[in-house]
Amino acid sequence: MRLEMGTFPVHDVTFGASTRYDAGRLTIDRDAVLAAVRQDPRIATAELEIAHPGESVRIWPVRDVIEPRVKVEGRGVCYPGICDREITTVGTGRTHRLAGLGVVEVSSVNWHDAGGDFVETYLDMSGPYGEMYPYARLFNVCLVVEPDAGLGEEVKNYAVHKAALTVADRLAEAVRGLTPPETEVFELGPVDPSLPKVVYIWCVHSPQAMSGSPTAFCTATYGLTQLTPPWYLHPNEILDGALTGPYRTAYAMSWTVANNPLFLDLYRRHGRDWNFLGVISLRTEWTTQTEKQLMANQTAKLAKQLGADGAVVTWDAGGNEFIEVVRSIQACERLGIKTVFLTSEDDATEGAPTMLEPLPEADAIVSTSFFKNVTLAVPEAPAVARVIGVPTKKILRGSAIGLHAGADASLPTAGPLPPPWRYDDHYGFGSLSCTE
Amino acid sequence: MARMKSPVRVVHYVNQFFGGVGGEDKADVGVSVTPGAVGPGRVLETALGAGARIEATIVCGDNFANDRAEEFARAVATELDRLKPDVVVAGPAFGSGRYGLACAQVCRIAQDRGLAAVTAMHPENPGASAARRGITILPTGTSTTSMPAALAALAPLAQRLGRRETLGPAEVEGYLPQGRRRVYDRGRPGFQRALDMLLDKLHGRPYRSEVPYSAPERVPPAAPIADLTRARIAMVTTGGLVRKGNPDKQVSANAVRYHRHSVAELESLSPKEWEAYHAGYFNHLVNSNPNYILPLSFLRDLERQGAIGAVHEHIYALPGVSTPVAVSAGHGRSIAADLKQGGVDGALLVAT
Repeated sequence: MRLEMGTFPVHDVTFGASTRYDAGRLTIDRDAVLAAVRQDPRIATAELEIAHPGESVRIWPVRDVIEPRVKVEGRGVCYPGICDREITTVGTGRTHRLAGLGVVEVSSVNWHDAGGDFVETYLDMSGPYGEMYPYARLFNVCLVVEPDAGLGEEVKNYAVHKAALTVADRLAEAVRGLTPPETEVFELGPVDPSLPKVVYIWCVHSPQAMSGSPTAFCTATYGLTQLTPPWYLHPNEILDGALTGPYRTAYAMSWTVANNPLFLDLYRRHGRDWNFLGVISLRTEWTTQTEKQLMANQTAKLAKQLGADGAVVTWDAGGNEFIEVVRSIQACERLGIKTVFLTSEDDATEGAPTMLEPLPEADAIVSTSFFKNVTLAVPEAPAVARVIGVPTKKILRGSAIGLHAGADASLPTAGPLPPPWRYDDHYGFGSLSCTE
Repeated sequence: MARMKSPVRVVHYVNQFFGGVGGEDKADVGVSVTPGAVGPGRVLETALGAGARIEATIVCGDNFANDRAEEFARAVATELDRLKPDVVVAGPAFGSGRYGLACAQVCRIAQDRGLAAVTAMHPENPGASAARRGITILPTGTSTTSMPAALAALAPLAQRLGRRETLGPAEVEGYLPQGRRRVYDRGRPGFQRALDMLLDKLHGRPYRSEVPYSAPERVPPAAPIADLTRARIAMVTTGGLVRKGNPDKQVSANAVRYHRHSVAELESLSPKEWEAYHAGYFNHLVNSNPNYILPLSFLRDLERQGAIGAVHEHIYALPGVSTPVAVSAGHGRSIAADLKQGGVDGALLVAT
């Protein structure tokens, strides 16, 4: 599987008479893009706004950030399977991407109506809170979109996400026929047989158990979100968007998945430091201990059958999902696969272990610090000059857990705001850690 | 001109064996004090160099220290109050469990009196697992063959503690982690650190986990109920059961309190009156039948059949989601005390 990735860096974005890319300047025909979005009768309102890096802007509520990618040569479409896009296996030919740009899905639609899960992420384009995330360095094209209020929650989710993908598609089309300024070839070519063989065990949340629906909207594999046994994915499939966000944290957006630095560095060092065998993607939030252990066993078995000597493991969730993740590490180690785990940590109150289930086999852990912003002592985000999206935000003053405690106040979005409750750098973008 | 530093005054603690009193047959001897260094203390003094000296050595039998713990603590405290050292060094205790516990206890007594203290033992010594959270313990091997290395590591740390220096992180200084984790910027992105560690691990080179293994606390179970037909049974749920509409404003995660409700008049939980508010599972299931997370209707059946003595009048509910362990333990202790006071013999804990 050989994939050429053509990168078009974006240095400026403006609205104009047509959608085109010229030497780093992206011009967007706002009316044409919005007309395409509004073709879907499920969409009630849609607006498009641009947020610039460093600008005093707050975007709320943020459901997803998508990097525009388009399949130029070869089979299938980028971001396959999502919102009824075709499911042809991707990863070959040529793909073009707009780098340094995000399409932000801004909508008040919640993930599902079964309780407990709320959209809580807002993004700042400047200031100490904004700078904690990669998005403040992007040009963000924000689609502020609301669906027909009469629709069911799941339909609303897919409608607004499809709308955001429509915007991403329109922008990516601008570079379909152009020659990319940068091209990189991705291929798992033959390597020195003495190099150690490694897999990436990439754990992603499934919304099935929480929502009660196997088709609830969330992080998707070819559009599927349900609980499934571990998948083998060629890394090129992921580069073409076969694995996408979002989940409820700021670091589990489609943009973050597509630009996961651990994944990209692992791939780029294929043939130099190791023989990269590919990705095993494990869905998490199985319900029973038996299911969790079974998934762990099968994940390790798959890694062993692929011939892995080593594995690196990440996850994007919290709570009980830790069990299938850490048991996978234990199962790998027991099969002789040397495993490294990149994770955030829970509260360390009164010396309690920060790992939900500490296991001695998990002896190589890289910490991305505490997962809660309150534990990290992140200060309030300062007031901003402009808001993109909803002008008010429900909050609970002093809450360590955001809206889970119910909302007792509705604040102007533009004013100083407490940070969302989770930080949770799933893929090691930043250098924060913990020590003792 | 630099002021001359006065030497750090050290008090050393050793057991009867290293104190030269005798072996296991002398393990019952009480606390005594010898001026200057004794046994391994002499080697320690050499390692300490000119900047420190051992004022006195406290010696005690391991049985005495553990079996007569209060007497031991009083005697050690009295000696430390009299000697007023800058730092107390205990051990090394290696793999010896009773010695390790005594060393940890000596460090705790010293710290309670505002004195600096350090000990050394094998990480799996019960003294280390019991006390690691409060005191500074350097890891050693299981036997005295690691004595030279242990003393060489203890000496500089004792000097610095005696001079009231604040130690750096455990992973830098080498003492056992104390569970006091704090945010730390490593200056290199997490993904690079993870791949560095992977490469080191693959090639058999040393690597250091950023989250050292910390064994969870084990709780011994209560004795089985002798006669269930006479037992009072209570129900506790972490399923986030609330009265319909959540009038008590229970949170759905990270519980700061639990809620006690009376079910004395109820035969069963009705979905008209009860529901779930919990951020960690599919609430609709429980909303259709709250007895799934609090099986009152089934316990009432068992009560009528005489299989159990009685259903306790109060139930306890909270959402078991994302609550720090220390907070959870506090809720647990409080609920258990309440149940005990209510004459409850057994509790059904229903999780989700």
